[in-house]
Amino acid sequence: MTMEEFLDQFGELLEMPAGSLRAEDELSELEGWNSMAMVGFIAFVDEQFEKTLSPRLFAKCSTVADLARLAGLNA
Amino acid sequence: MQAALSAIEYYLPERTISTEGLSAEFPEWSVDKIDAKTGIRERHIAASGECASDMAVAAARKLFESGACRSDQIDYILLCTQSPDYFLPTTACLIQDRLGIPKTAGALDFNLGCSGYIYGLGLAQGLIASGQATKILLLTAETYSKFLNPGDRSVRTIFGDAAAATLVSAIDSPDPLIGPFIYGTDGSGGPNLIVPAGGVRCPRTAETGVAVEEADGNRRSRNDLFMNGAEIFSFTIEVIPQTVDGLLRKAGLSLEDVDLFVFHQANKYMLDHLRKRLRIPREKFQTTMSHCGNTVSSTIPIALKHAAVERTPRRGSRVMLVGFGVGYSWGAAMVRWSGLYGCPGE
Repeated sequence: MTMEEFLDQFGELLEMPAGSLRAEDELSELEGWNSMAMVGFIAFVDEQFEKTLSPRLFAKCSTVADLARLAGLNA
Repeated sequence: MQAALSAIEYYLPERTISTEGLSAEFPEWSVDKIDAKTGIRERHIAASGECASDMAVAAARKLFESGACRSDQIDYILLCTQSPDYFLPTTACLIQDRLGIPKTAGALDFNLGCSGYIYGLGLAQGLIASGQATKILLLTAETYSKFLNPGDRSVRTIFGDAAAATLVSAIDSPDPLIGPFIYGTDGSGGPNLIVPAGGVRCPRTAETGVAVEEADGNRRSRNDLFMNGAEIFSFTIEVIPQTVDGLLRKAGLSLEDVDLFVFHQANKYMLDHLRKRLRIPREKFQTTMSHCGNTVSSTIPIALKHAAVERTPRRGSRVMLVGFGVGYSWGAAMVRWSGLYGCPGE
């Protein structure tokens, strides 16, 4: 998966307008990054990367790029 | 003698909360959003003063009235609940008295949530196989609604109250009908689904009752149920695929050999994800939650009852039951279908 594809899918999960999410965006500024979105993200990573993420790891991520790397993307 | 799952009846309290009603209370969550995430349109809520024992008695009476058995034939009562009438005495003892079950019967409560039905079947099977009982009334009854803060939409959308009564009977059969079983426990997950105050560890005080708005926008106090949905989801997808594989191996079966899968009906989103991950065909996967929500330990017996009516499974069908949740606790069991009393195709 490319970063662009990741941003597309993650942006959709956060209910953001298409193309508006950037890799350097701070997670703390994203209104849609709530507990429901976290569940969706865990599901997404499980499906796409066959990895189970613990939500505790999200606290160590500041940006969208950090999350992408956590998921297994080479970003 | 072998244990057979021979009859199921269930009871739902009269009062309901619809998804429309919840959406009106929490305007930022639309009906469509709640429905998409949970698959739940209605939850039943116990009346004030209506306890787990009341619901369990109602479900048991339905069972007796159906003709599946008489109360005087029961020689053991198992009650799964996390909302007992009292710390003591045992709620199952009070139920024995109310149902007029013989005083020669055994009775006990066991404290489990979403995995409780699996454990209950395991206990029942063991009691019968060891000759300790012949007709077991396995009851699941829960009033989680009494632990939910009105301002906590994360849990109010999900949980409903209910009770189910299952008859597990000794029958003459050369082969086991219930089993094998797989169990699992991870207490490190305890804090992720908990009512913090009200037990011995942290008694209720004026302070524990003070509700606070949390970062997730939900209000709750330490007297209220707290559920970390993301942690529970992560635990579920970590543990359940391995559990299903382990049970298939223990039973010497492949996934394709299983005719019907009945999972704990936590919420539609989680179940859809698990079903796809496990590559279980949609037509073999029972979904029953729209009319009652997540009723904790009653979801599996309620879903089984609906499966019996909707699908009329063939006798001898292989059914896999999987329960998981609070504790963390999980379990899975294989059941050979022998028909449910009163249901077509028995």
